[in-house]
Amino acid sequence: MLSKITVTPAPHISSKLSTQTIMLDVIIALTPAIGAAVIFFHDRALVLIGSCVLACLWTERICNWIRKQPSTIGDLSAVVTGIILALSLPPAMPWWAAVMGGAFAIAIVKVLFGGLGGNIFNPAMAARAFLTACFGVLMTTWTAPATIDAAMPQMGPMQTEAITQATPLAWAKMAVKKETSTETLKAQLSKTFWGNEGGCLGETSALALLVGGAYLLWRKTITWHIPLTVLAAAAAFSAVFYFIDPSRYANPLFHILSGGMLLGALFIATDPVTAPLTSKGMLVFGAGVGALIMLIRIIGEYPEGVMYAVLVMNALAPLIDRAFKMVPAGGIPNVK
Amino acid sequence: MAGTGSFLGGVHPPEGKQYSEHQAIEVVPTPKQVMVLLSQHLGKPCEPKVAKKDKVTAGQMIGSVEAFVSAPVHSPVNGTVKDITLAPHPVIGRTMAIAIDTDPADNTPKRPAAERFGRDFRPEQYTAQQICEAIAQGGLVGMGGAGFPTRVKVEPNPAMPKDTLVINGCECEPFITCDYRVMLEWTWQVMAGIRLAARASGCSKVLIGIEVNKPDAIRVFEQAAAELKDAFKMQVVPLRTKYPQGGERQLITSILGKQVATGGIPPAIGICVLNVATCAAIAEAVVLNQPLTHRVVTVTGRAIARPGNYYVPVGMSVADLIEHCGGLTETAAKVIFGGPMMGPAIADLSQPITKTSGAVTLLTAEDVTRAKFEKRQTACIRCGRCLAACPEHLNPTRIAHAIKYGRLDVAENYYMAACIECGCCSYVCPANIELTGYIKTGKLQKARAAKKLG
Repeated sequence: MLSKITVTPAPHISSKLSTQTIMLDVIIALTPAIGAAVIFFHDRALVLIGSCVLACLWTERICNWIRKQPSTIGDLSAVVTGIILALSLPPAMPWWAAVMGGAFAIAIVKVLFGGLGGNIFNPAMAARAFLTACFGVLMTTWTAPATIDAAMPQMGPMQTEAITQATPLAWAKMAVKKETSTETLKAQLSKTFWGNEGGCLGETSALALLVGGAYLLWRKTITWHIPLTVLAAAAAFSAVFYFIDPSRYANPLFHILSGGMLLGALFIATDPVTAPLTSKGMLVFGAGVGALIMLIRIIGEYPEGVMYAVLVMNALAPLIDRAFKMVPAGGIPNVK
Repeated sequence: MAGTGSFLGGVHPPEGKQYSEHQAIEVVPTPKQVMVLLSQHLGKPCEPKVAKKDKVTAGQMIGSVEAFVSAPVHSPVNGTVKDITLAPHPVIGRTMAIAIDTDPADNTPKRPAAERFGRDFRPEQYTAQQICEAIAQGGLVGMGGAGFPTRVKVEPNPAMPKDTLVINGCECEPFITCDYRVMLEWTWQVMAGIRLAARASGCSKVLIGIEVNKPDAIRVFEQAAAELKDAFKMQVVPLRTKYPQGGERQLITSILGKQVATGGIPPAIGICVLNVATCAAIAEAVVLNQPLTHRVVTVTGRAIARPGNYYVPVGMSVADLIEHCGGLTETAAKVIFGGPMMGPAIADLSQPITKTSGAVTLLTAEDVTRAKFEKRQTACIRCGRCLAACPEHLNPTRIAHAIKYGRLDVAENYYMAACIECGCCSYVCPANIELTGYIKTGKLQKARAAKKLG
């Protein structure tokens, strides 16, 4: 009888939560966006998501073999990385490029930095940056899923499924919107909301992303700190420009709903590994991501800035954590 | 400035009280031998005042020491000193103890004294001096777990005048029900102790904190408080059911909205906190002149045949107590000296019950949860749940990992010393990292390093 009794440090009970259940929650939250991608981009979505996820899983398993470790793919974190990477790729991306991205995300960005929990940069975003560096043209070729309004300059009428289109963000960047009526804007906003537009696989439908984000918040898998500050900072930043010259700059709501903003705010910037730990730190981090996105979108050369904004703030996260330490409930002790 | 009945942080573990909450306190037959530890309190350990083969009687003082922060120990039984030797101690490993063989001819077990107290009890017949003296002589210590000598807490200290007496009836630790039973069955004895403590400490206000998952206890105490017409204000404060609501610092925040400074103690802000079982012991020591030799212990969990609340002599071994409760079941995986959140797991069942042990919890592998049972830890994903759960608002993962990698300086920089070791961080950790375990190790390492230097 005695031999079966074990001794470990207290506490002796624990919550049912595990890394696996957290990752599963993220996957569940991503399913509306996956669904939207499949609706709008058909088999392209399935091919890209499939190749990214499989590439991530296999790379992780092979790294386990090389490092003579037990398998870690059961924690599902590689699946999350794969899905987010795929959702941030343009639909026309060839599958082998997606596989390269997945392998890079896991092998270089995650495992070389110590595996799950050790990486500095968000694996999906770092891999996307890698793909942008390797295949600049492929990464900025957008296929439109359906008819795009001809009233928008630079976005001609759309006939077949495989036509190349400018994304709404590129339109916002390049177009001189002097002719833009409220009608057009409303039409564009409704498109970005439902997802019937050009863009990366998972970025197009704001609705699907918001549903997933709401689920994560309800499950307490993420807290409000990062998403809210990303969106608030971005809205504030773009509002300033919008009020200066509404004919040159897009309206803040448009910025919030389009491009990778929601995917970034709800799913990418909230990656716990690469974000600060303390809630104050999260607020600073989120505000930094939001401001950087808008800085790149409005002043920078690129139409979209989520990827670089997240990567820059990832690099700053440890410093932010150090600057915004937890204050003990009883205050900072005065004897040190 | 009143509290909100809750505090920031904390967790909601399954309560597990159903095994023993309806079991009335039962007197345990006197065991053949008791082992009275000489260190059952915070402070200087006692020295033995008896020798081998001496005859001792129940209630006789058998160990004491000349120190303010200490408490004497007494024999719970009539018998003969068999040996003075090392015995297992749940926290410090081993300590000196007095083994007493009970006299088989005179071993009627002591019975609870609750019926000796009623609503007509008059604390005015005792002076503050008398009360403090009786508490000191009776060897009373905080029975909630910390074991701080009660006399030091209660005695007025001109440097830190106390005005509020907070009574801890939370019993937030899962599974344990000994305080709950004491509150229900010994209500007037506890009330007598509270009034004596208020008189001795000079507190004008008494607040009794009870978690709302014990509505019976709240009702009984509200009725009792309403019947008394004491000079001081006595009030029952229902508190949110949340662990660690009964942590002294959390309790003060919940009831009064005040915060004890990091590294500080309650009397610094005029508060004295006593556990309900301690109050019952105060009444017994002052009125009946009976030292603290017995206490109520909850024996509970799915791995014991007969869970319940038992009136146990201090010094009875866990093995004897388990045997009295029908023995362990086949599925027993862990024997915990205390509750599942803070109690240390023990393997040596000759471990004697002490003045501070409120429970013996017997858990099965399922209770422990699979990951914990298999001791499977994965990498920290910095999810921040431990930060949110920490009732002291610390950064447990930072502290624990600093200790893991030998950086005590970093751990201290993140206020390792402010950790109350409640276990919330380990409880919520999805990676199953023993954060509390690491932090305890770090504190020990620091204490050892300080000893070497000093």
